[in-house]
Amino acid sequence: MAYQLQVLLENFDYLLLGSVITLKITSIAVLMGLFIGTFVGMGRLAKSKLLSYPSAIYVEFLRGTPLLVQIFLIYYGLPSLGVNLKAFPAAVIALGINSGAYVAEIVRAGIQSVAKGQYEAARSLGMTHSQAMRYVILPQAFRNILPALGNEFIALLKDSSLVSVIGITELMKSGQIVISRTFASFSIYGGVALIYFAMTFTLSRIVRHVEKRLAVA
Amino acid sequence: MREILRVENLHKYYGELYVLKGINLHLDKGEVLVVIGPSGSGKSTMLRCINHLEEYQGGKIYFEGKLINPKSGDINRIRTKIGMVFQHFYLFPHLKVLDNLILAPVKVLGMSKEEATEKAKRLLERVGLLDKIDAHPINLSGGQQQRVAIARALMMDPDIMLFDEPTSALDPELVYEVLAVMKDLARSGMTMIVVTHEMGFAREVADRLIFMDGGRIITEAPPEEFFSHPKNERMKEFLDHILNI
Repeated sequence: MAYQLQVLLENFDYLLLGSVITLKITSIAVLMGLFIGTFVGMGRLAKSKLLSYPSAIYVEFLRGTPLLVQIFLIYYGLPSLGVNLKAFPAAVIALGINSGAYVAEIVRAGIQSVAKGQYEAARSLGMTHSQAMRYVILPQAFRNILPALGNEFIALLKDSSLVSVIGITELMKSGQIVISRTFASFSIYGGVALIYFAMTFTLSRIVRHVEKRLAVA
Repeated sequence: MREILRVENLHKYYGELYVLKGINLHLDKGEVLVVIGPSGSGKSTMLRCINHLEEYQGGKIYFEGKLINPKSGDINRIRTKIGMVFQHFYLFPHLKVLDNLILAPVKVLGMSKEEATEKAKRLLERVGLLDKIDAHPINLSGGQQQRVAIARALMMDPDIMLFDEPTSALDPELVYEVLAVMKDLARSGMTMIVVTHEMGFAREVADRLIFMDGGRIITEAPPEEFFSHPKNERMKEFLDHILNI
């Protein structure tokens, strides 16, 4: 046990370096997911089938297939189509488009949660559809869906451990590397788990804080 | 008097439901038209069609002499000229009172923030709520919210104001403060269509009244004649109910 603890302490810096990569991947993927999800979510509600059908297919396909398969498809599959991505961008893209599908569903629910009268009031003042969405509906929708978005970001942070399989030395992979050298599986995986928890817990606190700040008196 | 609005033979279906069965209406500048009738008679739907919040299946609507084409982008410009006040206010809850007022003038009309703020202050003063300029809608009473909603609509300098049962969602003791603002507005020469059950208001302010039932306009008359000589059984019954609670 003393050995296990010593290994963990000695390699803790290394694990922290890995967690920095985890944070980098996750934060870029979160932004991507938000961006994609906002537009796909609005697309699902569009009157035009030209918008709503592709959005529905996007959501169903990405939600209905394993993230691991999607990561492999992008990193190992795309090169046969002539698209060669390095591991890091491949990982970010896979996580980002996957998260986009979940965010899209959350955004759709969020838009539907805002009273229809809000949209009509905005339009009755002469706003275009886009202005009404941008200034009236989406700000309210985002306030309503913040807890759900927080969940999604936490899930994404944890799911980012999957990209260790394409050789990115993020937190999970860093742990595996240390274990392959030291065989201290218990303390290292335990340490890895604790660092993930520290990150997700902080994230959930941040979301809670933002939620409180946006809540109207 | 110059005609500002004309509705010709308006027909509206909600799916199978036939809601408006050929509405004809005209309104002169400065006129106050009060619309009454039982619920489900199509009063609100008619207002919402005028503002094109609802599609309609037949008929024509002219605004300032020009036929409105519902499909054209013009409708956004026309809506800035037609103010609408809703039964449930629909203030934007994520924005302060001031921002509720200046959002559309700034984003739609391109007014400067400073100019819009000045104007907002004047209008809030007029509806007696200047002290609530930094409040959020949730902290206002229903009557206050509706007065802010009226000020918000007035920010666009509309040529007509449409009121869709503006006091129906209010506690009885808050009704008068909203009606007072509306009376003030009518006296200042605003052209208004008001759907309401407030007969006192109708008697005092209306130039003309319309009674609607079953998707049709049954009667149209000046207040005196309207209340003293109900021409139709259904209308007599309705007035009896509403005036002798």
